[in-house]
Amino acid sequence: MTHAHPQAQDDGPVSQYEILSRAMQELLEEKGVISAEQVRRRMELFDEEFPYRGSRVIAHAWADPAFKKRLLEDGKRACAEFGIDLEADRLIAVENTPEVHNVIVCTLCSCYPRALLGMPPTWYKSENYRRRVVREPRAVLKEFGTLIPEQVSVRVHDSNADMRYVVVPMRPAGSEGWSEEELAKIITRDSLVGVAVPKA
Amino acid sequence: MTLPSAYTPAPERRFNAGDRVRVKPSFPPGHRRTPFYIRGKSGVIERVCGSFPNPEELAYGFSGEPKRVLYRVRFAQKDVWPDYGGSQRDRIEMEIYEHWLEAI
Amino acid sequence: MHKGPHDLGGEPAGPVDTTDHGMKFWEKQANALRSTLTSNKVLRLDELRRAAEDLGERYYQLDYFERTTSALRELLLEKGFFTPEELDAKVAEVRRRYDAA
Repeated sequence: MTHAHPQAQDDGPVSQYEILSRAMQELLEEKGVISAEQVRRRMELFDEEFPYRGSRVIAHAWADPAFKKRLLEDGKRACAEFGIDLEADRLIAVENTPEVHNVIVCTLCSCYPRALLGMPPTWYKSENYRRRVVREPRAVLKEFGTLIPEQVSVRVHDSNADMRYVVVPMRPAGSEGWSEEELAKIITRDSLVGVAVPKA
Repeated sequence: MTLPSAYTPAPERRFNAGDRVRVKPSFPPGHRRTPFYIRGKSGVIERVCGSFPNPEELAYGFSGEPKRVLYRVRFAQKDVWPDYGGSQRDRIEMEIYEHWLEAI
Repeated sequence: MHKGPHDLGGEPAGPVDTTDHGMKFWEKQANALRSTLTSNKVLRLDELRRAAEDLGERYYQLDYFERTTSALRELLLEKGFFTPEELDAKVAEVRRRYDAA
């Protein structure tokens, strides 16, 4: 049986894990457990849809204080209200204030609100981030170029069970009167995980 | 139309927000979602998340029923790490299942 | 006193590589495969995590997608979705196809 599957698309020698992954996928397709179309559709969602949602939601929260309040009470519900289906993700939004800076990690694996932010960056999944950010968050944030003053308390969230987290950064000075579209442009993925802050 | 929620009800819960709790100083093998570094530490319930099937059972193909109550617990970093170098007001928060918690 | 290879919080470590190196095509497809299996409820995320944790020392030798692919292999074999012989045959077929391209 021939497969209409693309050949290796990455540069360099083929990893044995790529071959293993393709082999498992094809066996499962042959056995009718999944379809190639389903996998293709998931790839599309991860590439074209999920990564763009987070900044839109937070921009809307910045523009609409009542929505922000609802987002902080129940992240999943507020996103649904905004037309975003987070699938299985149970979102909790945590707010940065002049007194508190939040940062997210999953020390046990790499849980991340994928349906809101797309795939986590490689540093988030790295062993060094998972080892150190819970124990010395300020030093790790400094490695990202983010300095938190002593009088601001740092709050680390270890996303270790059923909930997923997003940081609502503080809206920077100089962004007054901006449209939600303009606001979304400065809300970086890194600021939604808490290793950076948006700049106007 | 009912919108989905991050939370589920947990009327049978033992603890409420504000309660002081200690994580059991227990180190069994198997799939656990309570990180090693927090075992035996004390903190405060930050919120009730709801009741969910037990991941320790789901991991082995079982149903995870009856559901267990899940909480967010807040700890002072200085209480977790003896040599913590940041601010006394720094916190670490995570989700802990009820069967891992003791009242204090 | 048991601690799995995945239970990393608080361990000493070097600097974080703060660059996002992104994902290769095969990694995106591997991720989509995993995501399809969990959203179709063929496998539970909890089972995939447990299978990764049970990799033991190999956990540290593999990078993230190598780990998730190895865990998926163990779990699918465990649950009988295919036999080791079927998998070996399919791996050989895929490898031949890649070598020929």
